[in-house]
Amino acid sequence: MIKIKFNLNGRSVETEVKPSTTLLDLLRYQLRITSVKRGCEVGECGACTVLLDGKPVNSCLILAARVDGRNIVTVEGLLKDSKLHPIQEAFIEEFAVQCGYCTPGVILTAKALLDINPNPTIAEIKDALSGNLCRCGAYHQIINAILKASEKIKTRT
Amino acid sequence: MNSNFIGVKTPRKDALAKVTGREKYAYDIYLPGMLYARVLKSPYPHARVKKIDVSRAVEMGAIVITFKDVPDVMFNPRLISTPDTTYKDWRVLTDNPRYIGEPIAAVAAESEELAQRALESIEVEYEVLEPVLDPIEAMEEGKPKIHEKIMLGNREIVVERNIACRLEIQEGDVEEAFRNSDLIIERTFKTNKCYHNQLEPKVAVVNPEPDGGLTIWCTTQSIHNTRLLISEIFSIPVSRINVKRLPIGGSFGSSIQTNIVVPIAVALALKARRPVRLAYTKEEDMYEHSSFQMIFKFKIGVRKDGKLTGGYMENIMDIGAHQIQAYPLLGTCAGWWVSLYKLQAVKYVGVAVYTNKIPACAYRGYGNPQVTWAVETIMDEIAEILNIDPIELRLKNYVGEGDIFWGQGPTVKSIIKSCGVEEILRKGAELIGWKNRPRPGEQKGRFRRGVGMARGYHTSSAGSPIPGQVIDYTGAILKVNEDGSVDYITAMVDQGGGTLEAHAKIIAEELCIPLEKVNIVQADTQTTIYDVCTHASRGVYAGGGAALNAAKQVKKKLLELAARVLDAYPHTLKIRYDKEKKQGVIYVEGADGREITIGELATLARVKNWGTIAAVETYRPPACPPHFTGYFVEVLVDTETGIVKPTRVVIGADVGRVINPDLAEGQLHGGFLMGWSRATIEDLKYSRETGDIECRGFITDYKMPTVMETPTEIQTFFVETFEPTGPFGAKGLGEGAQNPAIAAIANAIYNAIGVRFYELPITPEKILEKLKEKEKIELKIVEGV
Amino acid sequence: MSQNKNINLGYINLFNTHIIPVKFNYHAPQTLEEALNLLNKLKDKARVIAGGTDLIVDMKLRRKEPEHVVSLNKIRELDYITVDSLGVKIGAIVKLRKIEKEKIIRERFPALYEALKSMASIQVRNMGTMVGNICNASPAADTAPPLLIYNATLTAKSLNNERKIPIEEFFKAPGKTALKEDELVTEIFIPYPPQDSHSTFLKITRVGMDLSKVSIAVLTKFNGSIIEDIRIALGAVAPTPLRIRRAEEFLKNKPLTEENLKIVQEIVAKEIKPITDVRSTEWYRREVAKVLVKDALMKCLEEEGGR
Repeated sequence: MIKIKFNLNGRSVETEVKPSTTLLDLLRYQLRITSVKRGCEVGECGACTVLLDGKPVNSCLILAARVDGRNIVTVEGLLKDSKLHPIQEAFIEEFAVQCGYCTPGVILTAKALLDINPNPTIAEIKDALSGNLCRCGAYHQIINAILKASEKIKTRT
Repeated sequence: MNSNFIGVKTPRKDALAKVTGREKYAYDIYLPGMLYARVLKSPYPHARVKKIDVSRAVEMGAIVITFKDVPDVMFNPRLISTPDTTYKDWRVLTDNPRYIGEPIAAVAAESEELAQRALESIEVEYEVLEPVLDPIEAMEEGKPKIHEKIMLGNREIVVERNIACRLEIQEGDVEEAFRNSDLIIERTFKTNKCYHNQLEPKVAVVNPEPDGGLTIWCTTQSIHNTRLLISEIFSIPVSRINVKRLPIGGSFGSSIQTNIVVPIAVALALKARRPVRLAYTKEEDMYEHSSFQMIFKFKIGVRKDGKLTGGYMENIMDIGAHQIQAYPLLGTCAGWWVSLYKLQAVKYVGVAVYTNKIPACAYRGYGNPQVTWAVETIMDEIAEILNIDPIELRLKNYVGEGDIFWGQGPTVKSIIKSCGVEEILRKGAELIGWKNRPRPGEQKGRFRRGVGMARGYHTSSAGSPIPGQVIDYTGAILKVNEDGSVDYITAMVDQGGGTLEAHAKIIAEELCIPLEKVNIVQADTQTTIYDVCTHASRGVYAGGGAALNAAKQVKKKLLELAARVLDAYPHTLKIRYDKEKKQGVIYVEGADGREITIGELATLARVKNWGTIAAVETYRPPACPPHFTGYFVEVLVDTETGIVKPTRVVIGADVGRVINPDLAEGQLHGGFLMGWSRATIEDLKYSRETGDIECRGFITDYKMPTVMETPTEIQTFFVETFEPTGPFGAKGLGEGAQNPAIAAIANAIYNAIGVRFYELPITPEKILEKLKEKEKIELKIVEGV
Repeated sequence: MSQNKNINLGYINLFNTHIIPVKFNYHAPQTLEEALNLLNKLKDKARVIAGGTDLIVDMKLRRKEPEHVVSLNKIRELDYITVDSLGVKIGAIVKLRKIEKEKIIRERFPALYEALKSMASIQVRNMGTMVGNICNASPAADTAPPLLIYNATLTAKSLNNERKIPIEEFFKAPGKTALKEDELVTEIFIPYPPQDSHSTFLKITRVGMDLSKVSIAVLTKFNGSIIEDIRIALGAVAPTPLRIRRAEEFLKNKPLTEENLKIVQEIVAKEIKPITDVRSTEWYRREVAKVLVKDALMKCLEEEGGR
């Protein structure tokens, strides 16, 4: 077993993992963070996306041992004082949610994008989302939601 | 029509749970003390298990089951057809695997790792049998038999030449019709086997209860049919099985039947007497379900004026190793054909054939996208030969208001009472610039633009005035809480399209209460009344019909109680939605102040001991009205690489009254993308050498559209009609949203490059090959001159 | 009906992407020396993990079952991009995404920039490294053709040795490189392309952000209408990514006429050895390789014209 300590959604977590434990497994099995979805588990669908030091990664492809000392954010970490993040609001308002299975991952990818690029073009949004599959085909609505979230964030700050 | 909620933009209720990650899917259920299961799958497409040794797995402490440990029951995992038309050839685990991936044994252990090791310790000795992968070959004499005997209802039947079932239909004199034709067109089409690729793989969590019963959380489109099937296989009374309704991470038809993970997990849980979870990986999921592959032969007659006369259709379906719904699909494919355009005489021969492949099941549209692709290709060809505008040709022949519609094969029919086809086609043509579309094959240069159109429809439910071979009824329970809010209880599953959302709006509209006061209750089989399944685009139409009737019952009772308070006659009372109070108000017309809110009334009913206002509605949809769609697609073809891109898409739809416009629009967008995928990308190809799918279950080699494939411009519009049999005039949408997409894309490609394709998918490889062939021929012609 | 008896578990029962169904020891050395010591000791029993995007999948699918996994991510001395007068040096654990974001890459190595931008998802680019992409030696590795035309050099270190390997000598076969089992690629050095040259990268895929069916990188330097320097490299058309020297030799000191272009296309079609696989066919790959050669050369020519 390997001892690790990392920051999860603003709080410190200390735990032990096996060498073969993936970050996805650690989050879901050990910590019961089920917003991180099991999809393809080979880094193709993006349903398991989390933010690692602010950047979107596929938690299915990361050894849990390697997140020692690092910062992880899941969609649970987006709520502030139990208020929705503007991206979450925009996803509801723009009907960017259908079956919802891709949603947490897509929202995190969107957050990472807007954090570094508050005014993305549609082409930049598409670029950012290329690793998040949505079989319901709600890409159009997702793009609109991200555009709207960008507006919301700007007017609030 | 004035309405408070119908057609009004309202955010969906489940979106909050979904954006915050709180929504619990079957995959997210963890029970204390749960065991993790793995399935041992056949590595051969056709084999017999001679010997199986599980002793090492047992020594490791795993719970192990093989084909010897499951009930000797033959079943069909889909329980939607009537029992006498249900073909059964499945077993929970088999000693005679008929495709690569068929479950033979299963293990459950304390961890996934241990389960995996236990699985790998099982030793199996196989007798390898010759597989058959091609449906035409499978029907030849002397080919290996995939099944010897199967069951039709309770009757055993012998399988001949690997033919699973067949259906022939004849109406009118086809030969006569052909004699009266000026043009007869004959074409053969081959469709692709596609994988649903829903994001959530199939999963079942089973908890054995102390009374011998079971609680089940699983991916399903029908909680009641799951319960019935488990009861049938394991001989447990229905009342002791409880199946939970959960959100599902997409399905598209792949969970109309009970997924095999459910009975396997049940068998393990019964043996272990502990909760068991069996979750498939993405790769295993691909070996669990996929679409039917079809070979169509069409012969269609037409007169010079463009009037169709008669037609012949042959449909050979590759169903894979087991029957899920081959027989009903033979019927619906005939129906999809004859309900597109009027034909005086039709002859249909449908044959479903077993092959050693992954069992095929419904996939969004249930054969309709494929049939529509073939028919709409032929319509385009006829229009070109006869020099008639393709849209005019369609308008001349389409099945519309007053005509008979086959909603679910020959036994489920009703009369069309709402139809917006003409307006869809006219408006769509205008929006895409139909008049200015290129002439086929006329363009030179590397990049060529093409505009194509196709129309289609799908049934809304499998309802009809008389019982057919398909079961279709649903139910709703509605109760008014003590503060005037209502609890809505239904067994219907929301696949993600927002079905239950529409029901809530229908209830709010009828009772004049705010949408936030309609609570969609977390439900399961023991607290709901029967619903057959969320399929056949029946969610809004059938489920909404039940919800509306339940609301009507509740409303009547509300008025009766209000009459006591207001001292008026119940039938004279009115109800309105008060926006300021955010409440439904019951009032006496013309008598100022004589009114009471539903909230006050509900509170009073408790204080006065009048009891709870509630309603139970079991509902049979009276018809199967088609919802109509029209697709107009512009593509750009790179003639040097064969790569096609969608540049502009216009989609029109008649879904009756639109309940939730934004969600409906989402269905159209998603429909196009899935259609694009099926038309140009997806193909679950088998290797003749290995008998396995070429991509071997790897999603990295089974592509679906990413955000990059979305067209830059997509425009949708609704032609609102009023369906008299639907709730507030509504019909379905989920499948019609996609059905004509493949055909419109194929027609657009033809328009760009002047080449037709009769085999799906239309890949860059195929396009380039055809263009090179064409170049050669044209070169020869030039040289010949 | 064949009667051959078989005791066989089958590959289908071996892979399990829920977990990593391989037991291994995990090592996270803090220094390069520690890492090289480990490799020296463990030899072929160990696999190096930089980004992990390939190795984790390979382990889930049981394509690789190492007893030891040596993680490089704590070795800070391998996390650098340095720019000097000769070119750019990139350490072994620099993420693909970081390289893509580097200004110097976008400005001076456009073919590499385009390749990075088009490969995999942003998630994967945030995890994966360029050294990893190269060491995995996939014929379709998208960074390979650009590194080939830029004449990149790899630094391979073992406990007792250090050597430079020109990228062209690095790829041996699918999954096979010139690297010895105790060696580690610590750095990629990419020299600046010639002054006033143009380079570009193009690829053909099934959907957005996919593995290439065919990829190409081209570098040209014109002297008036004459091609003074030319480098052409293709991916996914042979067992390894490859430079097409014969095509380069032909074009050198010639103008890019329609006729010459056609000859070059034919040379490329002859030199490559594409296969039919699940992504595409041999025939198609050959056809579009020709198209890509033309498109890439024309793009360079356009840039030259617009200069």
